[in-house]
Amino acid sequence: MFLSKIWFIVVALFAGVALSIALTAPRPMVQKLEELEGQRLDRAQYATEEMLKVDAHKWIDRVARLGRDAVLAEALDSASRGSGELGVQHRTVQVRIQALLPDLAGAGIATIAAVDANGRVVARVGGEDDKSFGENIGGAELIDDALRGFLSDDVWGAGGKLLRVAGAPVLSKSRDRIVGALYVGAETGDQFAERLKKNLDVDVALLLRGKVLASTVPPEVLAGLPDMVEQHRKDIDSLKRTPALPIDVGNETYLAVAAPFPGQAALQKGYYVLIGKKPAHADLRSLLASTSARDLKWGSFPWVPLLVTILGIVAVGLFLQRLEVDGPIQRIRAELRSLVRLDGAKLNDHKYGGGFGGIARDVNAALEHVSIAMSGAHPLGSHPVGDAPDPGSAFAAESHFAQAPRPAAGPPLIPGLGAPPPPAFAPPPDAPPAAPPSFGPAPTASEEDEDAHIREVYAQFLATKKECGEPTAGLTLEKFSQRLYDNRAALMAKHDCRTVRFTVYVKEGKASLRATPIK
Amino acid sequence: MTSLRTLVPLLLLSLPFPAFAGTVKGTVRVPDNVRSGRMNQGYWRLENGNVPVRPNSKKPGTIVVLDGISGTHAPPPKTVSVEITGLSATPRYVVVGPGSVVEFKNTGKITHELSVPADETLMPVERLNPGTFRHQKFGVPGGYLVRCSEYPSLAISVIVVDSPYFAVVDDKGAFSIPGVPDGKANLKVWAGGRWAHEESVETNGKDLSIRIESAKNGNQPEAKESEGKEGDSEGKEPDPKGSAE
Repeated sequence: MFLSKIWFIVVALFAGVALSIALTAPRPMVQKLEELEGQRLDRAQYATEEMLKVDAHKWIDRVARLGRDAVLAEALDSASRGSGELGVQHRTVQVRIQALLPDLAGAGIATIAAVDANGRVVARVGGEDDKSFGENIGGAELIDDALRGFLSDDVWGAGGKLLRVAGAPVLSKSRDRIVGALYVGAETGDQFAERLKKNLDVDVALLLRGKVLASTVPPEVLAGLPDMVEQHRKDIDSLKRTPALPIDVGNETYLAVAAPFPGQAALQKGYYVLIGKKPAHADLRSLLASTSARDLKWGSFPWVPLLVTILGIVAVGLFLQRLEVDGPIQRIRAELRSLVRLDGAKLNDHKYGGGFGGIARDVNAALEHVSIAMSGAHPLGSHPVGDAPDPGSAFAAESHFAQAPRPAAGPPLIPGLGAPPPPAFAPPPDAPPAAPPSFGPAPTASEEDEDAHIREVYAQFLATKKECGEPTAGLTLEKFSQRLYDNRAALMAKHDCRTVRFTVYVKEGKASLRATPIK
Repeated sequence: MTSLRTLVPLLLLSLPFPAFAGTVKGTVRVPDNVRSGRMNQGYWRLENGNVPVRPNSKKPGTIVVLDGISGTHAPPPKTVSVEITGLSATPRYVVVGPGSVVEFKNTGKITHELSVPADETLMPVERLNPGTFRHQKFGVPGGYLVRCSEYPSLAISVIVVDSPYFAVVDDKGAFSIPGVPDGKANLKVWAGGRWAHEESVETNGKDLSIRIESAKNGNQPEAKESEGKEGDSEGKEPDPKGSAE
């Protein structure tokens, strides 16, 4: 049992370690995945900045090319000088821009505006206010810059919309004066967010003044995003971006990196937020829920090593079970069956270890106890001296006990068993006093010898009775040995002998016993 | 917003009448982005390559204030009007005494939403439709930047002073404050919509040259160094990201 116990403990320890690893290993893995997702968002944010920068240059180039148009230059020059009607100039510029850019939406343009040298809007194309003109927007930094001769870009957040704008001066036909400026506003809403998502493989949300303007995930699930971004204003001011921030949305968790748009939109809490999905939770339930059938395929899961390991564990366990449990049980059962067949006196308890040794010793003790109980509460071989066999008893009716040592020579009681017995209970006066019995081993005082002797006498007595044609029903070993022990004890007390040996002989066609005291 | 990280003012203080009072003169060199009139830049700012770029026509709105002078009194409160036309405000800055009222009149076609973002309890966001006006009282001395939340380039500086000694820096960065009594004074420079510099000075006729390395915020600038003479503080402003002026 020792090895079995050790094996079970070892298996339990390994199972515990394996379970602990199974439960804890995903956590650092999830942390690593979070870190990698954060790095991916970092790279996406850098790529977004580069994309915005390239985009801004592209829009500057486009608006600068547009500003070289002669019709526009002439109309703006006229408006700047105050000659002609502004309404006519408005229509001229608007028609011209529409002719040059017939598909604004297809080009990703939300609005185009032309201003004269005084900062007055001459015409707009696109947007909701393309019919209004005449107001002065020269105070806008980008317009002021363009009227001074700069080509620049900015991001505006007006009217609840974000616009990436690029402005350029419009030069006179002689290209020696600035006669106005053009600015183009690029769509910075749903299309822009979708384009970012397509290019960067991250979800995108656009924020302005604490509201989600556009998002590739449902805006209602990002309700807390503006506040969360605003809480990291210090990071945004110093690093121009936030670290990867976790956002809990229902059962899902996202990671978000927010960065401000450049230009004056930064003053209006204009941010783009890149959102990636956080890896699943590390608990067992989430892991099992995220396990797919593909994960359990032969090629994905180490079924063979797992089965081999399980079979190995079971085989070792069964082997140890057989070695330490089944084997001893079989041996002890065989010995017990031998005891039943009277092939032995007790179990060989020294052959068994551990609990089975204890069982064997207990069985031996029980056998001894039963023997004592059956023999009048005295152990075998130490019977108190009693009366001589009573010829009138049931036992005595079948047998005759000789109270004197049997003669050394004479016809055997049974062929092959030695010399014949003398007359019943009457030893010849000249017979040697302590002749050994005609059969069996030399008598000793040990219990084993006594028991063996009585069993031999019983077997011979039973066989003789059968030979004589006498009935043997009811003649059991227990009764027979009990009777012999009683007579033995009585004779030992009477003759003060060491023990008594019984011999079987036939008297008057019946099986009889002769008792011979041994000094 | 482009920060004023290396504002380098050079102040030359001269006291012609050191015994009692005199005129404090000086020069303030403001950062390039303040002088250029482009506080909030995008990624690019390129010259057109055909005609020369015109200088910034707007005054930088830099104001030097000397306060903390004992025995002086704050200017009396008054009402000042600021007219907003389109995306421009005139004037772009006002210097008034405590308790003054500033009237913002929208004479253009564009609706504005004015507030003091740094102190919205004082002046919360409120819509200012074309043709309407808004009165705002400024009771506590300090600098206030009133900004339109829709068009942040529209910004008006309201400087409330408790001292009569202040001056507006001209296009070249020069200023002059006459009648300043001798003694200790607190010199503050408002530039780019915030307090860009502040330090204690002795108005005793000595020349002062002040170099500012950086300023964490408008109200608590850090004076890292104080050395040199007039005209030697031409600190360089690092190029803004992506700009190529």
